[in-house]
Amino acid sequence: MNKVLDELFVYPKGLVDEESKRVIHLVRQWADKEIISKRQEYRENYEKLFIETRKSLNLTIGLQRLTLPEEHGGFGWNNPASAPGIASVLTEIGRADAAIGVATAVKYTMLAVITMAPNFDKALCDALAPVYCGEELKTFSLILPGMGNVGQDTPLFLGRSILASVEPEGDGYVVNGKNLRPINSGAVADLFCVVCADKTGKPCIAFVPGDNTNIVRGKTLLETGLNASSNADVSFNNVKIPKSYVISRQGVVEELYTWLNLLLGGVSVGTGMNFFEMVGDWSETRTIKGGYMMKENPLCASVLADVADEVFTSRLFLYDLAQTISKPNDWGQSSSQRVYTIAQVLGSKIQQNVMRAINRGLELMGSAGYSKEWHVEKHWRDIKTIQSYLCGVGAEAPVKMDTARFFFDCKDI
Amino acid sequence: MKNFDEFSKPEEYISPMDKHIRSVIRNWADKEVMPYRRKYDEDWKDHHIIEPAFDKLMGNSGIGLQKALFPPELGGWGIGQSDSAFTISCALAEEVGRADTAMAVAFMVTYWPLTTILVEPHVNWRLAKEFAPMFCNAEKAVFAANAMTEPQGGADIENLELTGGKTIRTVARLEGDEWVINGHKLWPTNSGGVAKLFVVPCTTKPGSTDLKDFAMIFVPADTKGVTQGGPYEKAGMAADKNSDIWFEDVRVPSWYRAHGPSMDAQVFREIIPWGLAASMGFMCGAMLNLYEILYDFVSTKTYKNKPLKEDDHIASIIGRIAGDIDICRILSYEAAKMGDRRNKPYGYPIYSDEVACKMRNLKDFVSDRAVDIFGKAMDVLGPYGADREYDIEKHWRDIKIIQLWMGGKQLCQMEAARYFFNCKTL
Repeated sequence: MNKVLDELFVYPKGLVDEESKRVIHLVRQWADKEIISKRQEYRENYEKLFIETRKSLNLTIGLQRLTLPEEHGGFGWNNPASAPGIASVLTEIGRADAAIGVATAVKYTMLAVITMAPNFDKALCDALAPVYCGEELKTFSLILPGMGNVGQDTPLFLGRSILASVEPEGDGYVVNGKNLRPINSGAVADLFCVVCADKTGKPCIAFVPGDNTNIVRGKTLLETGLNASSNADVSFNNVKIPKSYVISRQGVVEELYTWLNLLLGGVSVGTGMNFFEMVGDWSETRTIKGGYMMKENPLCASVLADVADEVFTSRLFLYDLAQTISKPNDWGQSSSQRVYTIAQVLGSKIQQNVMRAINRGLELMGSAGYSKEWHVEKHWRDIKTIQSYLCGVGAEAPVKMDTARFFFDCKDI
Repeated sequence: MKNFDEFSKPEEYISPMDKHIRSVIRNWADKEVMPYRRKYDEDWKDHHIIEPAFDKLMGNSGIGLQKALFPPELGGWGIGQSDSAFTISCALAEEVGRADTAMAVAFMVTYWPLTTILVEPHVNWRLAKEFAPMFCNAEKAVFAANAMTEPQGGADIENLELTGGKTIRTVARLEGDEWVINGHKLWPTNSGGVAKLFVVPCTTKPGSTDLKDFAMIFVPADTKGVTQGGPYEKAGMAADKNSDIWFEDVRVPSWYRAHGPSMDAQVFREIIPWGLAASMGFMCGAMLNLYEILYDFVSTKTYKNKPLKEDDHIASIIGRIAGDIDICRILSYEAAKMGDRRNKPYGYPIYSDEVACKMRNLKDFVSDRAVDIFGKAMDVLGPYGADREYDIEKHWRDIKIIQLWMGGKQLCQMEAARYFFNCKTL
């Protein structure tokens, strides 16, 4: 397949400025050179190369500091107007490896609630940036509210159980929570961001350094995909943190969801685009019915059309969401119910589309689609894992309720 | 509902053996597989954990299921001569598939090539006697394989109606009283060093579309010239090894051909419904297990501080999942009964278009529903959906390949179109 992806999967180019395009180009070069051109080697030495490629991305290229303000040594992409550029970067990373994409998306999501205008929290940025966005590669982990257990009566964030709590103690806070399931990297995280409830049950978020001895990490989970992220359940037992590490402004949890949907959407769109490249190559090199090139068979072509269609529309949805976030004067802040709901709706659609694209494409690849040798099965597992995490509870029950609440003014759901 | 046994199955179809055989296999599954299956992925290459469980299912040291198809006079159970062979197979596929669909396929694919010589009305007594000791007298599991797929054509070989076998490149040449076979096969279940016996669909005249030139020849795996590659690493199905197989001047006695010109093509067509019916059974078994796991999960986890199952929206999703399982099970038994009607005045031969196309259609439908509901169930579990501890994700990875194999979805659609609309050129 020799076609230029950006000319096939069009997006509003005007949303991304020239400086951003240079960074995006750099990330695409990294993806092609370090992963895509040597998939076999990457797969066979995955644990080692996962770390090395993350280092080259985060430290050599410097993406660890992408969303930090310039005065903190960052690229200065800490304005909502940068949303399309950040999403584009995640797309390029996702095209190479969704697990690196998720780790990066979570990092930018957590930093967004600290650094994004107009809510730039200088004190917290001063405290965290030098340690977690410096010269060493650091891993961030996000713990969202989700499902509870029968017998528990938990505070809720729009229906989701908040299983962690913060309480003031001395000049700081203590964080508690048992067996919390992060989205990623629980076993290895250097910094956690946890959605907690305060004493009144009001949602807030707490940043918890991973080196606290009162943090207990469970065994590393074996999951369908994204295993390189080394996830594990985490318990916080009276973990003390400074007062400034808790953010309780109105809508801060919604902000997390908004950015997470955008950035994981970016990862999945990138993965979908790479799957498109792979299935395209397959369809040009395989014959069926005794000699016809696969893509020239109308039935196979219709399946290929589905693949293209789903990836194409998912990329448009991604930039629709990025544009919405980038224009707070038009649509509201990322914490607003409108933008939060749009992010949920479009984020969910993107994941569904890419999942369907891969499921359809696998039908054409038969057993090869299932074999690790052909690499597409990793994309399939990774995207399903992202989708399941984003669903939160009960197959997107909260997303559906958020959507109905916004569009139909439901009061009791 | 009391438990997963309450999912519908047409009771009048059920074999008298059903209850007993299910009880024995369920006991085996709960004891030998369920506690260990989360470790199977890492055991894909060596089968250190998997192999003992197979021995207890298939070998004489355990239940001895590998001999079930053989006639009693040769030491078997005579299922090949039973009027309920398909229905019993469906039950076997369900029970083993509930624990692990890859084990189910590896076990039942052992029957697959043997159906061509052990199932009425095509019992080849000479070959049955030849191979009976291999399976009936073994303490440990012994596997067979159907070496069908070739590198160049994918599912073409299963599309005999269209290709007439012209794309087959594995060639058998008769020299004296021996077949000399040369060719390259991919992906058979139980390759990678597992099978002791292959059946090799091949051609006696390359490029021919005359089905008289299509042959099915049995080849013991230790015959000189048979080389198997190492197993492929896959997304799942660790208990089922697959590899390349090369046949280089492999010589076997001429009477190792299943039946001869024309009849080989017919029995090849007959094995397709076996594979399709078993595939549906595997998926139903996995779905029954999905229900067990999901029931516990939605009863103990909460949304808005109520059990998930008591939320109207989530109830609508899990209700649909259970409903689909119920429907798929009914359809699977209907497919099995279609096979069991093969010798009845009101039935159709299993090589007929009626049976082949309708079974492909049913398998396609059940596959689609299975892929969909496992994906949906993972979403119900949310952050736990991808967690191996809950087992649903394992089934999700495994059942996708059931949708893909045997020509996959598109061949099913073409067969359905051919049959229902009398298409002439597809």
